[in-house]
Amino acid sequence: MISLDTILIVTSGGLVLGAIYALMASGLAVVWTTLGIFNFAHGAFIAAGAYIGWQIAHADASGLGLVAGTLGTLLAMFVFGVLFHIALVRPFERRANIVAASVITTLAGATVIENVINLIWGPRSKQIGRMLDGDFSLGPIALSMNDLALVVIVVATLGLVGWFLGATRTGRSMRAVAQNREAAELMGLDVPRLYAAAFGLSAAMAGLAGIFIGSIRFMTPTMGADPLMKALIVVIFGGVARFTSPIYAALIIGMVEAFSTYFVGLYWTPAVLFALMMVVLVLKPAGLFGKHQRTL
Amino acid sequence: MSTPLLELRGLSGGYQPIQIFQNVDLTVEQGASIGFFGPNGHGKTTLMKTISGVLEPWRGDVIFEGQRLNRAKARGSRRWRNFNYDVVTPRRMDPKTVARAGLIHVPQGNLLFPEMTVEETLSIAPLVAAERHQSSAHESALHEKVGALFPRLQERRNHKNRFLSGGERQMVSIAAGLLADPKLLILDEPTLGLSPKLRLELCEAIKTIRAAGVPLIVIDQDIGFLTELIDVLYLFDHGSISRRLERAEIPSHDQLMAMLFGEAV
Repeated sequence: MISLDTILIVTSGGLVLGAIYALMASGLAVVWTTLGIFNFAHGAFIAAGAYIGWQIAHADASGLGLVAGTLGTLLAMFVFGVLFHIALVRPFERRANIVAASVITTLAGATVIENVINLIWGPRSKQIGRMLDGDFSLGPIALSMNDLALVVIVVATLGLVGWFLGATRTGRSMRAVAQNREAAELMGLDVPRLYAAAFGLSAAMAGLAGIFIGSIRFMTPTMGADPLMKALIVVIFGGVARFTSPIYAALIIGMVEAFSTYFVGLYWTPAVLFALMMVVLVLKPAGLFGKHQRTL
Repeated sequence: MSTPLLELRGLSGGYQPIQIFQNVDLTVEQGASIGFFGPNGHGKTTLMKTISGVLEPWRGDVIFEGQRLNRAKARGSRRWRNFNYDVVTPRRMDPKTVARAGLIHVPQGNLLFPEMTVEETLSIAPLVAAERHQSSAHESALHEKVGALFPRLQERRNHKNRFLSGGERQMVSIAAGLLADPKLLILDEPTLGLSPKLRLELCEAIKTIRAAGVPLIVIDQDIGFLTELIDVLYLFDHGSISRRLERAEIPSHDQLMAMLFGEAV
């Protein structure tokens, strides 16, 4: 018989997974909805963020601490995202085949990033280490302080990004460009700059996700490949009708993964996730919360 | 003589590889409004999109308040169809520069931003004029004027654009154009496909805008409506201006049709 404790432990594990997936998937969705392309380098962005964070924060490197590491990573990844966009996506901005061309360029970019990481930091796995030590318990719920901090920071970050897109003029302009490029151009909005900003924001979110993953798992140059696949599942599973759609979807996927790992087993979990995705797509092709078109 | 508000000199353009209009010359004097009349599919909308920089002009210049909005160099030949010319040649014209200069284009059948509310849409519209005047008082005065012009939008402010009727969407579109504090406002078929009642309402609003001193370029199929708004009418067919008529010379609808298509049987 399954005890309540087991369910609570698995649920809290699912919550942490869901939080990380939500951060990755909504970062991916920001680029997808704004530019209409899929950034295959998002996983490599996660790895780059983790290594930059390690470089700044870890005692074996610069040793400036985790707060400096996180802020430095956010800034560095924003700039990196903007440059990545200018070099590999902007040249196709007015071409009809931008989707196909950017698949190749972002995949190529991902490979280059992974190799550069390998060159700089080497193939040996690293770990940023926990943000906080100790455990947190409230009644029957027990989480490590690290997991709790992770969930809280993800919720705060997503809240902040949601507020930025919904309430500030720059955020609203970004959504406007996503929804109707020509009308946005006629309003005098700086479309190339907003596209670049979307890429930068997305990369910064990936960098934060990288630090979180580095705090609970071992880092390798290819550490972003699996999260990218999960983020892809989340985005397709949930749809991108609203900024919140991938967040809900990420929670569902995180929970399914946690329960499936416990009850079905680790090896079968990807199959379970893909089976779930197939069922959802057959019934609702635009995603669980999807509408007929991509928007933000 | 003062500098004209807008001057087009030998403007040609279209959609690669098909040229839609050629050698358009026209002048809009300060404070004046002009109209375009002509059959559908002859390039009026393409011309407007080129003036506002959404499409690149192939040759010729767009001069606004004495300043050329496009690069001087004519667009080179683009013979290799599969070559990405965007990377090696800069755009001849940037819609952002045009809008920031105060030339605002309200496009035909503007779908706006389907998932944004009316209020959100109108909140970003004044951004383009923010560089020209930095006082927020001016902006709130504009908001008030637009609110008085389209009271219906106040009721709809929290509705998403995609749930609005065609007429309401057109109102949002024109309101957004006005909030950009235009020195010249292009209205491309503003009353196309609207019910008679809404059409009247919108026509009145446009007349009010004109009376408030905003110069307009209006494309419309209703010659009576145009005559009330404009100083000069241009007849446009087969991609060029075929006649220029002063307001006093504008004939009736039937006579115009005869001018464009030859004598009726």
